[in-house]
Amino acid sequence: MNLLDFSNSIEGYLLVSSILLTLGIFSVLTRKNAIGILLGVELILNAAGINFVAFSKFHSAAIDGQMVTLFIILIAAAEAAVALAIILRFYRLKQTIDADEASLLRN
Amino acid sequence: MLVSLKAFAPELTLVGFLSLLFLLDGFVPKLRENRFPLIWVIVSCFAAGVATAVGKGLSGDFFSGLVTETGLVAFFRYFFFFACGVTAYVTLGSKEIEERGRSEFSLLILCMTFGMSLMVLANHFLMLYIGIETVSIISFVLAGFNRESSRSNEASFKYLVYGAVSSGLMIYGISLVYGYTGALSYPAIAEALIKNNGTHPFVFYLALVMIYAGFAYKISSFPFHFWTPDVYEGSPTPVATFFSVGPKAAGFGALLHFVLTALSQKQEGGVFTPIAGIQLAPVMALISAATMVVGNLSAIAQTNVKRMLAFSSIAHVGYVLMGFVVMTPAAFSSIIFYLIAYCAMNLGAFWIVGIVTDEKKGSELSDFKGMGWRTPVMGVCMAIFLFSLTGIPLFSGFIGKFLIFGNLIQSQSYLWLALLGVLNSVVSLYYYTKILRAMWLEKPESSDSAELRLPLSQLVGLLGLALPTVILGLFFSPVLEMAQRWITQ
Repeated sequence: MNLLDFSNSIEGYLLVSSILLTLGIFSVLTRKNAIGILLGVELILNAAGINFVAFSKFHSAAIDGQMVTLFIILIAAAEAAVALAIILRFYRLKQTIDADEASLLRN
Repeated sequence: MLVSLKAFAPELTLVGFLSLLFLLDGFVPKLRENRFPLIWVIVSCFAAGVATAVGKGLSGDFFSGLVTETGLVAFFRYFFFFACGVTAYVTLGSKEIEERGRSEFSLLILCMTFGMSLMVLANHFLMLYIGIETVSIISFVLAGFNRESSRSNEASFKYLVYGAVSSGLMIYGISLVYGYTGALSYPAIAEALIKNNGTHPFVFYLALVMIYAGFAYKISSFPFHFWTPDVYEGSPTPVATFFSVGPKAAGFGALLHFVLTALSQKQEGGVFTPIAGIQLAPVMALISAATMVVGNLSAIAQTNVKRMLAFSSIAHVGYVLMGFVVMTPAAFSSIIFYLIAYCAMNLGAFWIVGIVTDEKKGSELSDFKGMGWRTPVMGVCMAIFLFSLTGIPLFSGFIGKFLIFGNLIQSQSYLWLALLGVLNSVVSLYYYTKILRAMWLEKPESSDSAELRLPLSQLVGLLGLALPTVILGLFFSPVLEMAQRWITQ
């Protein structure tokens, strides 16, 4: 038996998704580049998507989990479109996409 | 299916008007230039409100259990349509939204109102997620509506980062709950939870915390409130006006429905008890306490009025969350009453900040100097709104707080929370009076001491918000009874 053969159990999927979630949160917290933050968010959303598909395959008779994944992909695309527009405007105004430059509004 | 469409009539009305505006905007460019789009918003909100009134009485699950109709949903619909209409009315007189942007602005707030309706209708996690994202994505655009301003852009950027992360956490939490219970609709989740007899794995609690992240961001409760002051300060004032009332109430509506149907069981006499193994009250009490303390203490040090009101709105979220600690029908109707009172007084206060911002090109405390003497009506209205926000007797805010604290004391538990709430109200008096002192007790700068005449439409609107604030403080029982009926329906 191969220890790394996860193809027929849910653990492998959950492991990948939790790693993706951790990486996503980590890059949101540490990245200074606005696009990097955006990529972190995409990782979090995809982690959730993997979870839904995995649970839908192993734990539930219905396909509603897979439906949710489709919606997550759709919403992530919409969000990315708006986010890129905002970051583009940020660049126009400040000539940089360093998130630390967003410091006009503070106590 | 047809019945489902009937239940969805108010939203369909809204979408119909929205699409028409979209077409008119594209094909008749002339209409874009004047007040037409904003008046269109007011008309469509009114029409959607009429559709709600006509469709009253329908209740149950629709669209295969995706959405559910209750008395509460009807209340929140009226609330959103009113807030959206008032925002459009406020924008009519505002200089912050440029004339050629008005039709886009109108489309966006209509669409956001639609999303808020979806949030409170949701009886299924997918619907909830779609509702929240509809509201969020449009909020990002609205916060950055003033395209040439770095502050507005920064507001939308911060809103985007917080919003995207918290809704990402939320959907991850939802996926864990789905894995645990195998269901996505609230009643099915409750059923699965009851079957497990109070022994839930640790992951389930982690998932609940993650789901709360999504709600907390929408209602700006601790610990996801950090975006609020920055976003309110940076975005145009009419947008902040809408943000401080609309999406927050939507978050409360969605949270209320989620807690009641997915995490609680209804007992005899309409009291809800959490499903075995879920301790809601202590967690909610801690969150509520932290939210109001953080909001009020941070507000003290602010010199920008918009920012101060943003922190004050966080504090008010703390008061409303107290209602979630006691899960009785009386507590829920006091939440409803508080939201009604909060809607009028907060819309009014932000509106006046908007008027001052238009006049002085800023919303610092020093910009408010002598404003009371320059336009007495506005000064008196602001005094009414701020006293009501503080919770001074004779105003609606007092009754709202009295009901919420009273329910907490009646339940004989969490007396410290009620006490903390009262102490917080005293603290809030300090910073609210700072605004009033600037308006009434300080002299305006000599360069602009002339009387500032407000257009009639603004005066009528301000009085229209100030009167209910006073009247609800004196004759509150009809509204309270209405709230009780909404809860029990």
